Amino acid sequence: MTVPAVRIRDLVFAWPGGPAVLEIDRFEMAAGEAVFLAGASGSGKSTLLGLIAGITPCREGEVCVLGTRMDPARPARRDALRAAQLGIVFQLFNLVPNLSPLENVLLPLRFSAARAERLKQDGTDAHTEARRLLDALGLDTGSLTRQVTALSVGQQQRVAAARALIGRPGLVIADEPTSALDQDARDAFLSLLTAECRKSGAALLFVSHDRTLAERFDRQIELAAINRARQAA
Amino acid sequence: MSASLLTLAWKSLANRGVSVALTILSIVLAVMLFLGVEKIRTGVRASFDSTISDTDLIVGARGGAINLLLYSVFRLGDPTANIGWDTYQLIASAPDVDWTVPISLGDSHRGYRVVGTTQAYFEHYRYGRSQPLALSEGRAFDTTHEVVLGAEVARQLDYGLGGFIRLSHGIGDVSFAEHSGHDFEIVGILAPTGTPVDRSVHVSLESIEAIHIGWESGAPPSGQAVRETSDPGTLEPDSITAILVGVSSPIRVLGLQRQINTYQGEALSAIMPGVALSQLWQVIGAGETAFKAISLLVVVVGMTGILTALSAGLNERRREMAVLRATGARPRDIFALLILEAASLAAAGAVIGILLAQAGFAVIARSVAARYGLDLAGGPGLTEILVLGAVTLAGALLGAWPAWRAQRNALADGLSIRL
Repeated sequence: MTVPAVRIRDLVFAWPGGPAVLEIDRFEMAAGEAVFLAGASGSGKSTLLGLIAGITPCREGEVCVLGTRMDPARPARRDALRAAQLGIVFQLFNLVPNLSPLENVLLPLRFSAARAERLKQDGTDAHTEARRLLDALGLDTGSLTRQVTALSVGQQQRVAAARALIGRPGLVIADEPTSALDQDARDAFLSLLTAECRKSGAALLFVSHDRTLAERFDRQIELAAINRARQAA
Repeated sequence: MSASLLTLAWKSLANRGVSVALTILSIVLAVMLFLGVEKIRTGVRASFDSTISDTDLIVGARGGAINLLLYSVFRLGDPTANIGWDTYQLIASAPDVDWTVPISLGDSHRGYRVVGTTQAYFEHYRYGRSQPLALSEGRAFDTTHEVVLGAEVARQLDYGLGGFIRLSHGIGDVSFAEHSGHDFEIVGILAPTGTPVDRSVHVSLESIEAIHIGWESGAPPSGQAVRETSDPGTLEPDSITAILVGVSSPIRVLGLQRQINTYQGEALSAIMPGVALSQLWQVIGAGETAFKAISLLVVVVGMTGILTALSAGLNERRREMAVLRATGARPRDIFALLILEAASLAAAGAVIGILLAQAGFAVIARSVAARYGLDLAGGPGLTEILVLGAVTLAGALLGAWPAWRAQRNALADGLSIRL
């Protein structure tokens, strides 16, 4: 049996001075699994993603990503693990405005030698792979060197997805990536994202409040169902 | 890793055109000012030190060394007393003395001091690195009523060869008594030296005697016609103001100085120009230090623009930082990014400032050398390297504050990017 992409045990989390927002006894995602996580806004979705991404330290309980613990005492190690194994797509404003779309896609390679190494193992190089991903996600080559701000939101989200996927990370986290898109763009983006994740073998944790999207995933989970913390009114 | 952070920093700066350009501009101007002040300061110092060279001793009536230096070399202040002509001859014929130049002061021409001297002045007076005086036009005087002008005198008063001037009694700016009846022909104009020689009017000792005939009482001669003198030989001076002395061997200088200082026949002072020059510089050097301090402050003020430029954009860049964090940047990468931006701004300002200053010096070096005798030429040296290093380092240090704030924000924001 392979290592799970995400494994959470006995997690309790509260922001300083506040009540517990998350109490999760057990949560697991298999390697390569595409999971739809549904929850109303304010239900602690983003907090959970921060804990899994290792940006927020998990003080009580345990969060493991691809078999490695997001150790609260070792921030540099969490950063390195995130750089090597995680791709993250936000709802909006995913891109660094000073960089071209292509440079944005290459960004994770600056911070992780492991990703660059995997590209080499796959027999490709950074630019080729970046162009391949952008092409697969339906971005025309003309857009690659344009100003990021000149791209439509849909195009920006595709660039962000390509950035999340470059160098074959083990886990892609997407936080409401489609909520700023219209119906057609949303369907197209979702198909491309799930297809590319499957192709590269990355697990996908897709968070949204829009349950109509859920059927495209291997599994659907309601955050409220695994979170025992009482939600603040 | 840091190389790629540097490209990130540069791209971020390139994206913020106007505010970045203005910040760099303020550093450029501050650096140029500092280098300009520094160049002029060292130039003035060098030119001061080279006001007179190769003269081993200056002899005058007993008094302070600085005072003697001021009136004999810098043409400033008043001589305390004169030296008898017989004393001059005694010194001139002393065994260790190689050459002497007598100097007689006390007259002026439109505020410029008149120096009565001999041909020996043009032969032995040296400035800078043993540079002799050179005539840019004409020749040295060889009889009475001929005058050789310093470069500045000729330029300021717009005098040319063949013109006639009159000398005034006393050394005030507005002279009360003119030596009327004595027209001096301009026979020579000296090349610029950047020393007080440029501001001097040179005539022979005999001329000084000739114009003072009948002035023995201290007042202009009255009623009697001024004698035209055709025989300079009869015009031997009674006294002179100072003597420049060249000694045959350097090891004899101290001995001769002691001899002159203890001479019983007349109260004399002999000073070594180098020693007196550095004493004088200690007096006026305080102003120089203040000058340097002010230009340093200008650089500091110019550099605070870095704080403004980086701090102003910090809130708008919170999303950018969160994205960088999400793609794997550590908090210290965020910190380093901001430091690199600050250091790059400072370095760019310093480099451009140094290049522009160099270009500026190159353009004006020729005319400044000709007018003021200051040497501004010469490529970038240790000063420029130090400025580049210090400004870049100071920029990086200034960047620490916004960098720390950016890092703190990034840690607090986590993955949630606020609008």
